[in-house]
Amino acid sequence: MAFSGALQLTDLDDFITPSQECIKPVKVTKKSGKTAAIKIGDDGEYSQIGIDGGEVKLEKATITLNDCLACSGCITSAESVLITQQSQEELYKILNSNKILLEQGKSDECKYVVISISPQSKASLAVKYKLNANEAIEKISGFFKQLGASAVYDVAQARDLSLVESGHEFIRRYQDKETDKTALPMLASACPGWVCYAEKTHGSYILPYISSTKSPQQIMGSLTKDHLGGGRKPDQVYHVTVMPCYDKKLEASRQDFYDDLYSTRDVDCVLSTLEVDEMFKREGIQLGDVIPAPLDSIYGRQGSAMNHPNNGSGGYLEHVMKHAAKEIYGHTTGDLKYKTMRNNDFKEVTLEIDGKVELKFAIAYGFRNIQNIVQKVKRGKCNYHFVEVMACPSGCLNGGAQLRPEEGVTQKELLAEVEGVYDENDATLECGSDELDQLYATWLGGRNSDKALKMLHTQYHAIEKETNALGIKW
Amino acid sequence: MISLQSIAELEAHSDRVWSVSWNPSGTLLASCGGDKTVRLWGKEGENWVCKYRLEDGHQRTVRSVGWSPCGKYLASASFDATTCIWENKDRDFECIATLEGHENEVKCVTWCSNGSLIATCSRDKSVWIWEVDEDAEFECESVLNAHSQDVKMVLWHPTKEIVASASYDNTIKMFKNDGDDWSCFSTLASHESTVWAISFDKTGERLASCSDDKTLKIWQEYLPGNTEGVATVGSDSAWKCVCTLSGQHPRTIYDVKWCSLTDYIATACVDNAIRLFKESDCNTDKNQPSFDLLHTQYQAHTQDVNGLCWNPKIPGLLASASDDSIVKIWQVVEK
Repeated sequence: MAFSGALQLTDLDDFITPSQECIKPVKVTKKSGKTAAIKIGDDGEYSQIGIDGGEVKLEKATITLNDCLACSGCITSAESVLITQQSQEELYKILNSNKILLEQGKSDECKYVVISISPQSKASLAVKYKLNANEAIEKISGFFKQLGASAVYDVAQARDLSLVESGHEFIRRYQDKETDKTALPMLASACPGWVCYAEKTHGSYILPYISSTKSPQQIMGSLTKDHLGGGRKPDQVYHVTVMPCYDKKLEASRQDFYDDLYSTRDVDCVLSTLEVDEMFKREGIQLGDVIPAPLDSIYGRQGSAMNHPNNGSGGYLEHVMKHAAKEIYGHTTGDLKYKTMRNNDFKEVTLEIDGKVELKFAIAYGFRNIQNIVQKVKRGKCNYHFVEVMACPSGCLNGGAQLRPEEGVTQKELLAEVEGVYDENDATLECGSDELDQLYATWLGGRNSDKALKMLHTQYHAIEKETNALGIKW
Repeated sequence: MISLQSIAELEAHSDRVWSVSWNPSGTLLASCGGDKTVRLWGKEGENWVCKYRLEDGHQRTVRSVGWSPCGKYLASASFDATTCIWENKDRDFECIATLEGHENEVKCVTWCSNGSLIATCSRDKSVWIWEVDEDAEFECESVLNAHSQDVKMVLWHPTKEIVASASYDNTIKMFKNDGDDWSCFSTLASHESTVWAISFDKTGERLASCSDDKTLKIWQEYLPGNTEGVATVGSDSAWKCVCTLSGQHPRTIYDVKWCSLTDYIATACVDNAIRLFKESDCNTDKNQPSFDLLHTQYQAHTQDVNGLCWNPKIPGLLASASDDSIVKIWQVVEK
């Protein structure tokens, strides 16, 4: 499968680029028996010839996403690795096998296909096809349902749980700040590029500060496999998310989100916004012409999602600040004021009460700003209580897998348009809505239950630097 | 007749010497290398002696050293992926900051002309811009991933806030700040192999580059609206190769330094020689200059010559660093 130049990971400056050479040693399962020779066939295949003259084709050594995640060699994995394991081809495979099973009258063996669409991807596609946000998501829903999906959700609903949990986690950390030196600053965890970078290069220095709350994608994964499958076992549900960035594929592949019992992941396949647009092309459709289909709701009935201002990357700072101001100081904040610091991707928000700065939060997007935060935390000089960290400059709406500008349009202009569509839904739900409370009760057995901890929180793992003789030349 | 007279041979490094750099007043010479130390040499009476030995800053080879324009700070770049900032505190140099962030070997460090910015480059293919604030705190201002390979050297323009970089990808790139972030505005492609080093002339309108392709090239800046009709984009100037010197160097050229006092160009070559070039007087067309090889100091060292530096105050005083672990000081003699 050939990807265009524009699609190559290494061409995107918002990615932390892979390092020069992959140093991951490939595991080869040795077959017993003596080998006489290895032959390279005309087709380039390698065959092993035993002393008895028998030929055995040798398997190609491959590197999986898991190998990449567990390796300290480079920051993100190679593009080819991402493509082979998580792509629209995988979804098509499942949909086709469903069709065949149906024809054979084995409908009970069909996978229950669930699609979860991120609001950032929705906004990007809406701009390209000149639709408003609601039209766009219902048409995307219609597209996937026509293809054979059973349910389509808006990830923004799962994001509400992520925001609520982040708010609670912040209060807990704030209360522990005197006894636990790593309680603050709390660093947001929704960006897998950032988390992966922290695990690989800063390990134990930084990981304790990273919020344990799962990202919207992974909470959507827990919901889908554990709650929304209508009693189906997790491996009977095939869950696909549509995301603005490739690093979400890496996140879905983490061992933490793998169910050993059923050999399945909370998110089976992550499609990028670009890949979904490729699917439209393949099916020969214009999104505008698709018959819309209403979205499904995680609440089982209609329910919208919280929509804070400045939430292009999820609105973590907004929510945590408002929640903390209320819970800790009984203070209701109006619109938050963002003060631009070193550059447009580094902003500060403070909570002042009676002229005294009580809380100091920041937004740090892009690799350069992450650097400064990380170095300050390492040296104990970071005086923020919370930092919304995202790897991409301008945040998730500018994710590396969002649609590219058309000719004559700059990236900046496109981003402004996408932001415009994204902000259309201004129905701001207060947290602690009845729907959310009910979901906590029916699904998780209430807040802070063991199940809530398992379903809504995760862990991070420092990756030891491999001392590989090949890597050190001097 | 031009020749190089040996002034001093400085022996103290226990491994190869990678780079040498004079402080802005020309009184101290910093050298660094495979023994993980930085040494500072100065004159006592008629003799050159090692005045300071900076150690414990780095875990691996120190590849390059660069002085701040005020001469109070020295930066050292190491294969241990860090850059140390040393401050001259009366009788001693103290490491006051460590710049971390590069994924692997840092190859070069350099300060801009007003001292407010530092650039570093690395085998990780990136160029980083760091800002120095009043409290000598260093913050990352930009991470530039324009090169496709190992970046060998970074260098600031003598007067403007422009940084140039030379890479294993055979190109030289120029970066500037365009509002919110830095970006590459010019790629100088003509070398056929690794560009090891670059050096601006005193005006900053010309750049010399040397390469693994055994050539020395001279690049000329063309401003927007130039009378020569060289195409430019927006307000950025274009850089064009106006002279390629080939045939003089039998092997890889590791370093080039253009002297701002004498206009000599010195090169460091793997054939153990140092060569001196100068623009011919008889040619006045800046678009087609010619340069003459004036002197070759064969066996300047017993092994590869890695680095050179012209003294910024004393015309024709040149320092050289070599794999033979010796630092040498030379004087250009014209007679």
